[in-house]
Amino acid sequence: MQRRLMLATACLALLTSVSPTYGRGFLDDLLHPLAPAHKKSSSKPAASHSGEIVWSGLVMADNVEKPQVIPAELARIEPTLKELFGYNQFEVIGQSRKTLMNGQEDWLASSKHFALHVDAQGPSEGGYIVNLKLMQRDSTEPPTDQLVLETATKLSKRSPLVIKGPQIGNGQLLLVLVVQ
Amino acid sequence: MKTFEENWTAWLDDKLTGQELIEFESALPDKAAAEAEKRGAHQLGALLKRELVAPALTNEDFFHHQLRERIAREEAGPVRERGESVSTWWTIRRLFWTGATSLALFFICAVFVMRQKDPTEQSQYLSQILNAHVDPAVAPNATISMFESKENRVTVLWTEGLKSLPSDYAAK
Repeated sequence: MQRRLMLATACLALLTSVSPTYGRGFLDDLLHPLAPAHKKSSSKPAASHSGEIVWSGLVMADNVEKPQVIPAELARIEPTLKELFGYNQFEVIGQSRKTLMNGQEDWLASSKHFALHVDAQGPSEGGYIVNLKLMQRDSTEPPTDQLVLETATKLSKRSPLVIKGPQIGNGQLLLVLVVQ
Repeated sequence: MKTFEENWTAWLDDKLTGQELIEFESALPDKAAAEAEKRGAHQLGALLKRELVAPALTNEDFFHHQLRERIAREEAGPVRERGESVSTWWTIRRLFWTGATSLALFFICAVFVMRQKDPTEQSQYLSQILNAHVDPAVAPNATISMFESKENRVTVLWTEGLKSLPSDYAAK
């Protein structure tokens, strides 16, 4: 009788480990070994992300006869950028590289006429929640700052974010965020 | 033919009679010392009989129970030794069925979990646009869409209808 009770307990333990009710079960871990454990990571989110660098850039995409070498930060996504936007040169006109310590930082990547304000709201599952604001500075007297675009994003460290900005001359302004 | 020790013991217990007694006592080297030793042995015997009394059992039932159990075990013992198999729960057959049942439960739950997962759910590996808007004062007809390029896991926020700007806005 005691052994049957032990067997029943073992079966119950197996079911509990398989069941997704309380976060990721054993089976879920087995089926998705690379997936981040959100329930587990959410308990200490800041510690797991601290020290990561977020590169944010204002990128001017253009078609030229002799394109410059693409910046190292964009090298990984160069084929995607060329395919999506149809330009052969990507030049960084403003950038910022921020090391995140607690995921609550905010910073600015700016050029002469644009500023990308990044306000991190804290870590989330596999990345960060960031609020982005693209400000445009016109050359009027006095200079005026104008909000062009605003977005809230969950930035994953394995997935760069590209935002198509306004057309400038024959080119295109792009906003790029990469967790390095 | 009795040995001297046997005759000595019998003499101490007053068991020697007749010719045997006469022969034994005549063979003793010092009869007075032997008589003294005999008296001492008798006194010791009387003392031991008086003092050594078997203790009375206070928990008689317990010992009876223990004895009955032991007798029952010993009676059952030979039956097992004759080759009758002793029943244990984890026989090979039961082990097999337990394993099969556990595996079946595991796969049922596996199917259940896999069905629960929403196939349209966005991957955690991709960045996600939670919300976005363009200032209507800047571009009243602007539209926003978002998609993911699976190739490099690039998430794209695509805007249309933003106001075009002159090339000097590309300055660093």
